[in-house]
Amino acid sequence: MKKIMTKYAFIWPLLGSIFLWIAISIVSGKFSVGQIFSSAKLCSFALLLALGQMVVVTSGEGAIDLSQQYILTLAAYISCDLMQYNVILGIIAAVAVGAFCGLVNGIVNIYLKVPAMVTTLATGYIIFTIVLVLAPTMKTLPNAGFVDFINLHAGGFSMLTMICMIVAVLLALLLYKTKYGKQLHAVGQKRIAAKYAGIKVNKVVISAFVIGGALCGLSGTLCGAFNGGAFQDMGTTYFLPSIAAAFVGGTAASGGKSNVAGVCLGALMMYLLTTFLNAANLSVGMQRLIQGAVLVLILVASVSDDAKKN
Amino acid sequence: MKKERVQTPYIELSKVNRFFGITKALEQIDFQIFSGEVIGLVGPNGAGKSTMMKILTGVLPPTDGKIIVDGTEMKRYTTKEAKEAGIACAYQDLSLCTNLSVYENFAMLNVEHGMFTKPGWRKTAKKETKELLEKYFPNNQIDIMKPVERLTLAERQIVEICKTLMTDNLRVLILDEPTSALSTDKANQLHKVVEELSARGTSVIYISHKLEEILKISDRIVMMRNGKNSGECDPKEIDTVQLVEMLGGSGAAKGKQKINRENAAKGDMAVSVKNYTGKGLYNINLHVHKGEIVGISGLAGSGQTELLNILFEAGRYTGIEKKGVLLNSSVSYVSGDRAREGIFHLWDIFDNIIIGNLDQVKKGWFLNKKKSEELAQSWYDKLKFRAEGIHSPIMSLSGGNQQKALIARGIASGAELIILNDPTAGVDIETKQEIYGLLDEAKRAGKAVVLYSTEDAEIEICDRAYIMHEGEITEELKGEDITVPNIVKASFKDTKHQKKSEEKKESLIHRVMTSRVLLPVTAMIFMILINAAMNPRILSYMGMRMLVSSAVPLVFAALGQMFIVTAGDVDMGNGYSIALVNVLVGIILTGNPLMGIVSLSVFVGAYALMGALIHVRNIPAIVVTLGAQFVWWGIALVIAPSPGGSCPEWLLRLYKFDFPLIPMPIVLCILAGGSCWYILFRAKYGMILRGIGNNPLAVERSGWSYLCAKMVNYVLAGLMVICSGMAYTAVCMGADANSSATYCMMSIATVILGGCEMSGGVVAPVGVVCGGIAMSFITTILTSFRVDSNYQTAVTGLILIVVLAIKLVMHKKEGK
Repeated sequence: MKKIMTKYAFIWPLLGSIFLWIAISIVSGKFSVGQIFSSAKLCSFALLLALGQMVVVTSGEGAIDLSQQYILTLAAYISCDLMQYNVILGIIAAVAVGAFCGLVNGIVNIYLKVPAMVTTLATGYIIFTIVLVLAPTMKTLPNAGFVDFINLHAGGFSMLTMICMIVAVLLALLLYKTKYGKQLHAVGQKRIAAKYAGIKVNKVVISAFVIGGALCGLSGTLCGAFNGGAFQDMGTTYFLPSIAAAFVGGTAASGGKSNVAGVCLGALMMYLLTTFLNAANLSVGMQRLIQGAVLVLILVASVSDDAKKN
Repeated sequence: MKKERVQTPYIELSKVNRFFGITKALEQIDFQIFSGEVIGLVGPNGAGKSTMMKILTGVLPPTDGKIIVDGTEMKRYTTKEAKEAGIACAYQDLSLCTNLSVYENFAMLNVEHGMFTKPGWRKTAKKETKELLEKYFPNNQIDIMKPVERLTLAERQIVEICKTLMTDNLRVLILDEPTSALSTDKANQLHKVVEELSARGTSVIYISHKLEEILKISDRIVMMRNGKNSGECDPKEIDTVQLVEMLGGSGAAKGKQKINRENAAKGDMAVSVKNYTGKGLYNINLHVHKGEIVGISGLAGSGQTELLNILFEAGRYTGIEKKGVLLNSSVSYVSGDRAREGIFHLWDIFDNIIIGNLDQVKKGWFLNKKKSEELAQSWYDKLKFRAEGIHSPIMSLSGGNQQKALIARGIASGAELIILNDPTAGVDIETKQEIYGLLDEAKRAGKAVVLYSTEDAEIEICDRAYIMHEGEITEELKGEDITVPNIVKASFKDTKHQKKSEEKKESLIHRVMTSRVLLPVTAMIFMILINAAMNPRILSYMGMRMLVSSAVPLVFAALGQMFIVTAGDVDMGNGYSIALVNVLVGIILTGNPLMGIVSLSVFVGAYALMGALIHVRNIPAIVVTLGAQFVWWGIALVIAPSPGGSCPEWLLRLYKFDFPLIPMPIVLCILAGGSCWYILFRAKYGMILRGIGNNPLAVERSGWSYLCAKMVNYVLAGLMVICSGMAYTAVCMGADANSSATYCMMSIATVILGGCEMSGGVVAPVGVVCGGIAMSFITTILTSFRVDSNYQTAVTGLILIVVLAIKLVMHKKEGK
């Protein structure tokens, strides 16, 4: 039983999602499958951040990216601004800027030997300052064509959900089927051992930050378009849910273990939680309180005992 | 030396079983320890020796069977009972807190646990430590004031052994591979210690793979195999060869095995080093050809590992000569320090083998599963793993079998130069023989092998050997000349280079320059000077009071953060916990003092609980505190949905008190820094608080509770958060749940600027206080320069990175 639970860590967020869906249905008084589909759509932004976070955390030694929310905001501004010239250019530039922020994080972390948490906290504030300074000069309204595109639906599935699924599948292939993926997981377990196994540790870790940053960039692009424009605090909403999703989904905080499916379901679950708290008509304070408490409780329940053996 | 046997053994294990799932680690074990005897415990890896020792020391409970101490059967047998029975163990993996000084490590073990000890205990502890080290290992030249991390491995091992010897009422001493890092003379001193102990009636269990040692010092040899007793013998009636046979070695004893050296036809040069000096090495000249095994030997710690690292790192620029090092082939590295440098613990054997060979099993962009499994399976069969299959988790294997996986990784990588760093450390004889066979095979396949071993006899399998002493190659031995006596002789040969006077006089200037508080103090003075230059009036009493006043909340917040950093964690939620205290003070405490006090106590309790939760469930602190942040914020918002409240009168009066000469805020800062410094560096429990940030296991083994210490760290942090919240209330005269969030980032920045290490254990309260003042002055300066408030966060971020970069540079200068 325990073995199964450890192996299929996505069971936890899956059960959580189902439970919350039922709870929402009871509170709102109607069962609706549409609820799941719309949640799947709306959790996209946090989901992409969570996947990025997962890649970074998997590189081990306490790596974590706290600048994600700011990268997302910056990317949203850039995509909105550049899309007035060309949609594709906007997307590429936003993702590239995200990747570049990741690159800076990685380089500072590795070559200046600054702990990842501190690095990203610091770069996060710098990026935020860039946003504050640039914001007044930028066009914040998204390209209408692009907005229409991401709002397409096929059956219950929205374009956002599709994009997330494609990203998740590609990421899973990268992480579990390629040389890079194996090396990333090795580096995450023990960097010295990875070095002696002939892995270029620095390159692998920096790439992890770059991938994480690029995913933030993508998330920002979509988020800016979906919300009808970029605004300064847009990243804040996704900060807690994305971190929670990453860990609830089965990412080992100590590194070396990731779970794409689990993290995706984790993001869905965190969104359902927010929906539930809204549906229950609670004050902002109560909502925050419950969100925080639930996150801690989920962690207590779901963190596997693996970590203990180390 | 045979002692008269007393009728009843002091401790007896009777029919003890220990199962891990279906694995039978111990089966029907009988083991008796009589007072004053030296038992040599031998057996291949995975024989269950370590498990049995864990049962003896109470770390593991037996699945069933009896433990009898002094004739009475023990119902309950935990580490506590084992300690009372006088059983102590010097662990294979060194269990010292490396951030604490040598004497503190000793004090941790024998100081009373009560709240207060009479003053002067540090002095006594220092004296005792010095005497103890000198008594057992004369001329050890260990500086007891040095933190353990600055000692050599051999010195650490000596400290470790002495620490164990210090157990009061020591009746049974377990030495698990005690001489693995010790030079011969130190090992001999240890053997003398063992004799002395045994004469005093203390029994010693001596576990070693070095059979000569076992034969030399034990009164009785106990053998184990596959978790069972496999016999006993008298060391006087047996020699190494017989012992090896009895242990089930494949016949050939080490040293006797002749590896054919006749095909001395050398291949191409694989690596050559010319006149290399640096990294503790002097004038190194060597060359390794394809098709030969080259040994590296000499006293442990003579620079062998550094040399191997240089060879391995040359792999980054193959074919190019750099500093005299020229590598002409691909290279792989096999470490004997499996736990730290070798295995990937989350993986199975399969992944652990193929990770070094991913290019071989690639097909297009992806890894090919079939190819990988074939590769792993072929090595699995070849090395005769004792496991269920290639998908057995690596952690379920014994040390020897883990080592096989590493060697498979190293050889299968297809590298033409294979570097082995003590690959047989803690490996049983049978596996050793297999490893030698593999090396020989690799050699015949035209690969170059460099083997460093701490066991001199092992070098005999090499074609050539370089013997090192103090970072220099003192002799090159060839063919038949490679014998243990020759190696030993060369190991002590004089070196050519002037031995650098290691003992750099710790001059005052040097101490100041390397001090952790240098940076924050300089930063603070610098900031004050800039401020004064712009506005000289701030140097007055009132000016300072006003300026420092706004720094006080940050100083307390940073000190709180520091306590959590001490434990190796980080508090990502203190911005909002300060907000919560702000609300509790500004609204509840003002209205109803009793309720206020109760709520604040509950708050401290919550911090303690958070610490306990992080410890018990082993969840990363960063995530828990992030989650908790929303709880604090939520509660604060519920109590105060909008800003309001007021500061209690008494608090305001205290804060604005006209202290003579020195402004009150400065007094508060000094008090805060001073008391935190006292708690961490003078009080007895402070060393435990710092210890758990470094090596919690060592703290627990010394009889202290990790959980308790962690909770104390969090409680202290909670108290500091309360102080910070109070100061904040006094500064802004009201309560607002949303205004203090920046303290999180600021406090982390301050802790780093203040000279603490985020990895835990190393902290500097005085530095933190100065750092806090400096940080808050920066804001003042920026404001007076009329810098856009948008830039202020960026400046804080930049300062963080710059400070850490400065630290990195300073560290490099120190030569670490």
